[in-house]
Amino acid sequence: MGTSPWVSSEPSSDAEVIAARRQGWGASGSIRLGLLAFGLLVGAAVYIDASSRGVPPELSLSVLAGYSWAYLVAGSIAWYARPDSRIGGLMTAVGITGPMLLFFGSQVPGLGLLPLVAVPLMNLFLIWLVLSYPSGRLGSWLDVATVGAVTGVVAVANLLVRLFGPEVLDYGAWVMLTISTFLLGLIVHHAVKASTTARAGLAPMLVAGVLVAILFSGESVAWLLGINTDLGSPFRWAMLIARVAVPVAVLVGLLRQRIARAAVADLLVDLGVNPGPVDLQAAVSRALRDPSVRLAYWLPEFDSYADVDGQKIELESSPGRSSTAVKRDEQTVAMLVHDSALEDEPRLLASVVSAIGMTIENAQLQVELRARLEELRGSRARILQAEQSERRRLERDLHDGAQQRLIALTLELGELGDRLDGDSEMRTRIDSARQEVTASLAELRDLAHGIHPAAVSDHGLAVALESVATRATVPVEVIGATQDRMPEPVELAAFFIVCEALTNVARHAEATSAVVELERKPGVVVVEVRDDGVGGASADTGSGLRGLADRVEALGGRLQVWSPEGRGTRLRAEIPCG
Amino acid sequence: MRVMIAEDNVLLREGVVRLLTENGIDVAGTSGNADKLLVLVDDDPPDVAIVDIRLPPTHTDEGMKAALKIRAEYPDVGVLVLSQYVEVGLAMQLLGDSAAGAGYLLKDRVSNVKDFMDAVARVADRGSAIDPTIVSALIAKQRKRDPLDRLTPREREVLALMAEGRSNQGIADRFVITLRAVEKYVSSIFSKLDLSTTGSDSKRVLAVLLYLRG
Repeated sequence: MGTSPWVSSEPSSDAEVIAARRQGWGASGSIRLGLLAFGLLVGAAVYIDASSRGVPPELSLSVLAGYSWAYLVAGSIAWYARPDSRIGGLMTAVGITGPMLLFFGSQVPGLGLLPLVAVPLMNLFLIWLVLSYPSGRLGSWLDVATVGAVTGVVAVANLLVRLFGPEVLDYGAWVMLTISTFLLGLIVHHAVKASTTARAGLAPMLVAGVLVAILFSGESVAWLLGINTDLGSPFRWAMLIARVAVPVAVLVGLLRQRIARAAVADLLVDLGVNPGPVDLQAAVSRALRDPSVRLAYWLPEFDSYADVDGQKIELESSPGRSSTAVKRDEQTVAMLVHDSALEDEPRLLASVVSAIGMTIENAQLQVELRARLEELRGSRARILQAEQSERRRLERDLHDGAQQRLIALTLELGELGDRLDGDSEMRTRIDSARQEVTASLAELRDLAHGIHPAAVSDHGLAVALESVATRATVPVEVIGATQDRMPEPVELAAFFIVCEALTNVARHAEATSAVVELERKPGVVVVEVRDDGVGGASADTGSGLRGLADRVEALGGRLQVWSPEGRGTRLRAEIPCG
Repeated sequence: MRVMIAEDNVLLREGVVRLLTENGIDVAGTSGNADKLLVLVDDDPPDVAIVDIRLPPTHTDEGMKAALKIRAEYPDVGVLVLSQYVEVGLAMQLLGDSAAGAGYLLKDRVSNVKDFMDAVARVADRGSAIDPTIVSALIAKQRKRDPLDRLTPREREVLALMAEGRSNQGIADRFVITLRAVEKYVSSIFSKLDLSTTGSDSKRVLAVLLYLRG
């Protein structure tokens, strides 16, 4: 296995993967049932107590429904469906503490004091719930501080009201309003910074969260404006409805996840028997509703991960991205890299991952093949590069060594000859020696040029092509050659293509003219040589053309030849050029 | 005449300095790289700067760049570029829109003392010196099209020498004919090729080269 940061933390089975990653409150079924029963009991006690004080039954029942039952029921369902999440527990806690509000004014000794603790606690759980959905874990210190502040303010306000009467709320309401506004801002901030995938999951709770924030502000505003907020008042009813929004949001969220999981069946149908890597990734992306999904295939022979194109990739953890191992026969065959928001849907993720595991074999083979081709191309490019460097070095050695020395020698001979004005025979001999050396220099120059066309490297393709066109046997028009430089291997390949094509024109084409055209497109340069000759050339027969094709392919490009009998030859190379 | 030289090969540089000095030319400065040459030229512009096209540090186009810079910024300084290979495209780049005071020769040419001194003198006098290799390549190219067929062989020889930047007197000396005869050839060539005859030798060079380049 490689050295990917993920491999060390790689879990043993995909179902455990996600469970291990996120710790919920692993309460057993009986504890959950016990808490549910306790919540219902509290509700019953509240009802009996309220009735004994003459509170209308419909009023107490409505409070019980909105503050307790909705939360208890939704909480139990969430806890059962998503044991890894703390949301179920938090909902249950709200459901237990919520109705205790009605003990306010109870005649039973001590019970009337219970809301002093219960109301702040209920607020604590509620804000925690809203800000931490869907994992139930608060993400930042700001969230923690907000939860703490709301709880503290509510606790102090309740205590002060109890001690000094409701008038103290004149001050408390302002504090509450400030905190509510801040809470609203925090919820909006959560929505904004969430990834698209995460936001889609958050949507119902965002709506509910905004309602809760307004609910807190509403309470304060109502007090400041002197609106009646007594039990049974229209305001109280509105608050009740807003409160129910949270359990509704949780249920909607669960329902959506359930629907998404059902879509995994569609995924399997989509995938068929042996999907290719691209189809597989697209289908997985659809099933997870995450367009950013990437499959990184583990290639043991390369000791690395590769993407769908067989390109080696490094898996680096980055914020907002998570990865989940895809296994086949207990072996990790790929990593599914996805939006971290999906970790909140562990069941969906687990079923998608096992669906991938079942159908990945073909895609993996294809990716491996592509990686091999990629490697081959890379080694061809390296060989070509090494050859080019060697040739350039040779050319430079010739230039700086033998050629310079010979020129210095001809200079010496020239001077000697010049001094021998009187002795004409000696002068003739020296002159002929000088010309011999000059002729050798010309041969050496051709040799050096054959080894490496220095003009291409030194001055660019346009300059070099002009000389090639000038020396060609037929009139050659060069189109699109500019002074803009391209990477040396690209310029050299283009140069050799033109040279070889024009050599073929001279040898075989019986052409009267030729056109060389260069075109820079984004990421690629197109070199085309056309003649009006007899045609019939083929990349397979001419070893020159074959060599050119190899060179172009080593650079990741391709060479094509059209040469119908009697209708000229067109040679076109596309070379990738960053 | 004052000349400055940029050539990184010491042996060759010394050789050229000696050659020039022995022929009565004042070598006002030498350099192994382009930057120093530019400083020297800026300090006290010479009549001609002789520049090796490949200079450190990369040994690619530093010399060419320096030559173009001198031609652009010091119009009174002649520039003679020496290279171990000649390219038509580079010749045209060097000339730009004027052949006055521009030379581009194969390095080997230094060994033909008389010719080389003549070339240096022409460049110093706002004339030109274009390597025969380039001229013959261009003439060969034009022969593939037809117009040059209208010229007699001797006329083609005269055309080549004109393109190299030689004066009428230089051509007359070369062929051992009278100046008058050269002038006759020249006007015949120009009328056959439909070129206008007015202007200095260097204007004639550019006109002929551009014609040949097609």
